[in-house]
Amino acid sequence: MRNIFERVKQWNTLTRIWHLYDAKWQDPFDSAKVIQKYLKGLHKPIYHPLADCGDHVVVINCKEIAMRGDEWRKRAYFHHTGYAGGGTYTLAWELHDKNPLMIMKKAVYRSMKGNLQRRYTMERLHLYAEENVPQDIIENISSVIPQLRDVPMRLDRMPEDQVKGYPKIWDLPKDYVVR
Amino acid sequence: MVFTTVAQFVRANINKIKGPDEFWRKRRIFRLTAHFIGRKRNCYSLAIRGAHRALQYATKGRHLKKKDMKDLWLQRVSAGSEEHGVPFPVLQKGLIRSDVLLSQKTLSELATWEPRTFKALTQLAWTKGVEDGFNRIETLGEPPKNVVTRGMLTKEVYLSDDETKK
Repeated sequence: MRNIFERVKQWNTLTRIWHLYDAKWQDPFDSAKVIQKYLKGLHKPIYHPLADCGDHVVVINCKEIAMRGDEWRKRAYFHHTGYAGGGTYTLAWELHDKNPLMIMKKAVYRSMKGNLQRRYTMERLHLYAEENVPQDIIENISSVIPQLRDVPMRLDRMPEDQVKGYPKIWDLPKDYVVR
Repeated sequence: MVFTTVAQFVRANINKIKGPDEFWRKRRIFRLTAHFIGRKRNCYSLAIRGAHRALQYATKGRHLKKKDMKDLWLQRVSAGSEEHGVPFPVLQKGLIRSDVLLSQKTLSELATWEPRTFKALTQLAWTKGVEDGFNRIETLGEPPKNVVTRGMLTKEVYLSDDETKK
């Protein structure tokens, strides 16, 4: 250790870092692949599978995740109570209505290989449906994981004058019936 | 030597016919199974099966260990290069084209113990990638400006008309 900066550098390398990830309009399954890398510490050059070098990840806006195509209607989550005839299939939109964190949680859980470490790794994942995160969690955060896709601006939430002032190429004819 | 009876011959050559003494023959196996659990440790017929299996595992393990280490180095190097905004394929291709022929193991050790050296290597690879026009290299953002590659030194410089007049 030559000086105080080197000391801080080492401290930074070997401590757990808390990352923030905004899941708004993001694909949960693509996001899970990124998040699990941070949870396991795969993003560090000191990584070793037996070393406990994973970080914490706080995911906000889990309620606002996006799925492609028909996934909300077609993807089914299976649960079995263990009793005969106890199997149920819940569609993704139903599950999301019941618990907005569940899809994200299952996506991250399934993105990791099933081993003894998986349950402990999952404990470092903190999911929140909206943007309000408890103060004791938010004060740890020191890093942000970039979103996979930019959140597009919605037409119905654009300011009125911006929509009005947008350049028009042509006008509809007056007798055209808009359906 | 002359043996008058078969029995005498056998008694003289007992080691060659039967192999070493039973106790020592078994003891060689029991040394291998000393750390096993259960009857595999002390019952000879089970111990020898366990010892055979253990030696087979050891043979496989020697290959697996090399593969595991390669995977680990790859993981570490790609983690290190992504820290500096360069994906691993770009680093690998860029370094090979710049004639920097470092092994995966050396790169991973540099990434851990000499991060500044490793950063310089990623920047070199990035610049080489821009120079050679790697696929989608422009998506990485603004390339570093502090790198001089061999290609830059030999490249002809075309000055605009105003500059040649001066």
